[in-house]
Amino acid sequence: MLFILLQTQVPPSNLPYLVAAFAVSWAVFFIYAFFVARRQRELQAEIRELQQALAERDSAQDSGD
Amino acid sequence: MSVAPGQQDQRSKAVLRPNIKEIFLLVTGILMLVNIYMIFMVAPTDANLGNVQRVFYFHFPMAIMSFLAFFTVFVAGALYLVRRESRWDNLSYAAAEVGVIFITLTLLTGVIWAKPVWGAWWLWTPRLTTTLILWLIYVAYMMIRAYAPNQSKAAVYGSVMGLIGFIDVLIVYFSVEWWPGIHPAPVVGPLAESDSLESTMRGVLGFSFLSFIFLLVYLVWERVSLRSTEDNVKSLRFSLRRSRAGAAAGE
Repeated sequence: MLFILLQTQVPPSNLPYLVAAFAVSWAVFFIYAFFVARRQRELQAEIRELQQALAERDSAQDSGD
Repeated sequence: MSVAPGQQDQRSKAVLRPNIKEIFLLVTGILMLVNIYMIFMVAPTDANLGNVQRVFYFHFPMAIMSFLAFFTVFVAGALYLVRRESRWDNLSYAAAEVGVIFITLTLLTGVIWAKPVWGAWWLWTPRLTTTLILWLIYVAYMMIRAYAPNQSKAAVYGSVMGLIGFIDVLIVYFSVEWWPGIHPAPVVGPLAESDSLESTMRGVLGFSFLSFIFLLVYLVWERVSLRSTEDNVKSLRFSLRRSRAGAAAGE
């Protein structure tokens, strides 16, 4: 069987670098999306509390009048 | 119980809005998963660089996404200066923040890729140096906005900085043409050569671009809605303070 050598050197795979680059990218995207979503939930809860406080204040003022 | 037509319309919009965003997020997630499959299973291994060359399929699209984000900052900032509408400022701010995420990841993945290929984590080449300057400009943009005395001044400072900062995006892109060095030449855009990529590699890169465009749009969309929620909270807090102050004055 005849073998033909196409390349003199097999390129190094450097897989740890590839995995590190992917892991860093995905970790940053997930952490960012997580913090944005969590902040959104916290603010929505605060909006509900503020709206309730305003409604209670308005009704208290109306009953005072 | 009957609901006024306007209120009903608002409610149906509120119900619909998260659904569209959720569908968009689902499509983005599917595209990103297919993208990972294509990068690892479809794209051929580079004959010279080996498997680590696959970093290219997200390093390069992330760099272009940061440019798109900063272009959005430029356009939205200009529109804010002309029209003084807060929605343009919200878009500008959101795009800047997401752009900073993308440019940070471009630098990080570039550094990780450089070590096995160039034998050094960092080289002070024109492309890397101008990209680092770009990162510093938009980090400064975020800081200036955070430390501005009020929101309207922050919006004006940010808009002006977004207009000036975009000049460096052009310098980064053309840096390999103006000061040729070790960094590879562009493979897309006006400076790209037509045969600079093998056809399968070009296809995978194209799909990666599509996936990252979806991711960019989703993140900016999410950040814009967070920004408008922040504005709502501020205005409600102000109303409550005013109401309390009015009640105290009445007593």
